[in-house]
Amino acid sequence: MIKGRDLFKIYGKGTVEVRALDGVSVQIDRGEFIGVMGASGSGKSTLLHLFGLLDRPTSGSLSIDGIDVGMLDERGRTLFRLQRLGYVFQDYALVPELTAEENVYLPSMVRGMTSRECSRVCGEILTLVGLRDRRHHFPGEMSGGEQQRVAIARALVNKPSIILADEPCANLDTQNSRNILELIKRLNKELGQTIVMVSHEEWHKKYFDRIIYMSDGKILTDDHQENGHLTEPV
Amino acid sequence: MLDEEKVAFFLASRLIARGNKGTLALTIMIIAMVFVNLIFLPSIISGVVVLFNQQTIDYSYGNLVIEPRSNQIYIENVDQLQQKITRIPGVVASSPRYTAGATIVHKGKSTTPLLYAINPDDEKQVLKIYTKIISGDYLSPGDTDQIVIGYQLAGNKDEKADRIPSLGGVDVGQTVDVTFSNGVTRQYRIKGIINSNSFSVDSNAYITKNELESVLGISNRARQILVRTQTTGNEEAMRTTLMTYGVQEKIWTWEEKSADFLASIVGSFDIINLIGNIVSLIIAVVVIFIVIFINTVYRRKQIGILKAIGIDRSIIIKSYIFQALFIFFCGTLAGGVLLLLVLQYLTASPLVFPGGPVAPVLDTFLVLRAIASLLAVSLIAGYVPSWLTTNEDILSAIRG
Repeated sequence: MIKGRDLFKIYGKGTVEVRALDGVSVQIDRGEFIGVMGASGSGKSTLLHLFGLLDRPTSGSLSIDGIDVGMLDERGRTLFRLQRLGYVFQDYALVPELTAEENVYLPSMVRGMTSRECSRVCGEILTLVGLRDRRHHFPGEMSGGEQQRVAIARALVNKPSIILADEPCANLDTQNSRNILELIKRLNKELGQTIVMVSHEEWHKKYFDRIIYMSDGKILTDDHQENGHLTEPV
Repeated sequence: MLDEEKVAFFLASRLIARGNKGTLALTIMIIAMVFVNLIFLPSIISGVVVLFNQQTIDYSYGNLVIEPRSNQIYIENVDQLQQKITRIPGVVASSPRYTAGATIVHKGKSTTPLLYAINPDDEKQVLKIYTKIISGDYLSPGDTDQIVIGYQLAGNKDEKADRIPSLGGVDVGQTVDVTFSNGVTRQYRIKGIINSNSFSVDSNAYITKNELESVLGISNRARQILVRTQTTGNEEAMRTTLMTYGVQEKIWTWEEKSADFLASIVGSFDIINLIGNIVSLIIAVVVIFIVIFINTVYRRKQIGILKAIGIDRSIIIKSYIFQALFIFFCGTLAGGVLLLLVLQYLTASPLVFPGGPVAPVLDTFLVLRAIASLLAVSLIAGYVPSWLTTNEDILSAIRG
């Protein structure tokens, strides 16, 4: 599904060189719910950016769904993101002038769906995230938790094979964070999508099937778990 | 509509409908003003040209001017030629004239204006100078010791107010001495003063044709025959008709006679107009550019996120172009309404120019050119800032 090999991301040159990723090799299988954890500057967000095709590695190879994404041009990468990836940002990143429904169906419009199809799919997804009644509200009229659920719905609308979530609970209180994590977990189980989520909150660990700990641009540990208990060493 | 354009239009329409209305209204207003400015001055210039053309026909040349054949000073057998011309279909009237140099003296003040010798009755059929008498009377056919002079030539008591060397403020009833090119000097009583608002007319003096013929000892001749035709605008065809009827003298249209003067006036106005238009268009570019640029910079992070979720850069650029086009469309529409109001007002209360009242003349080409210029400007001002902002890499944009 996702296969990264010897991934390096180096900023700067010579003595001021910063190795955000220092030879990371990782393989993620279909349907996994993975937590990428670590301290600030450990390289977890950089890794997510590479998976999300928002950045290119300095060296190394990355293939997603069997496609060597390093070979794609900018337009190809945009199309890839649209069709195969769903991205959830820390600060929701909704368009304030669009209603919840419009924010959600924007990516499906780009794929050429008719307004009726968009509306139907959007209705289904907003029902899934529990916001059907709020579909005509603007982001400014919604709570942080509700906005993040809209953002998750937007990430799901094109039925991508991978959802990438960059600290989606960072701006939420504990209760809303719990709701969001449970929603993501449920979506992972019901829709079978691969989910890679960056987090630095220790209590999030129990929701993940697999936890990758990063430090100084390297993978420190990579453990599978079930119900919060380790299952096998990797 | 293609999918990309559909999404771009969707985004643009929502951003316009739910964005800052005050900024939008202000921008549209500025574009409206630019549109008015692009058309207003040229329409005034067109009005001046129309006024000048009409004055040229009514006070200087009529529609056609017949002049002596090559190597001849006078048109010979002018009475017969005039009779022939007057019978040609499409001709309303004709008026033979002499032009002569002369020195006019009044109480020691001397000047050398152009002296026209005319048949007053014929002249009334062709030109409207007789309607512009501001003091005294116009010439009569039997006048011999009478002269009519232009307002500029009559001058003012205070020399500083004169635009040409004048007679120092002479009035009707006073006498002037006129010395002709053959040395003959005669005394004339000023019968009337003309003020046509046409400088070239108001600088001249007029006596009867019979009087000049008696001074020069010639008859049945003329230096020009002015011809008034039934319609204005078909002078070329009328010239051909006159030639077909056997007129062998040189025939000029009023446009040809006034071409240099008209070209110099229009040329000067065109330069002013060009500068005005360039400034207006620069204002339009800058305003739309700034509005779109601030908009895109303000939404830099949002643009990065749109790109991150798979919205192609071209869609985002197109959405900003659509917004610029909306501003253009509303600005042009508002400008059009504003312009019509201004033009209606100025048609009812024309501007007073030295040559007379000027009403603006709206030219379709001018309007289309203004619309095309603003459209091009809007496209550029919508495209460049959105291209610049969307050119930024996604992570830099998202991080702000």
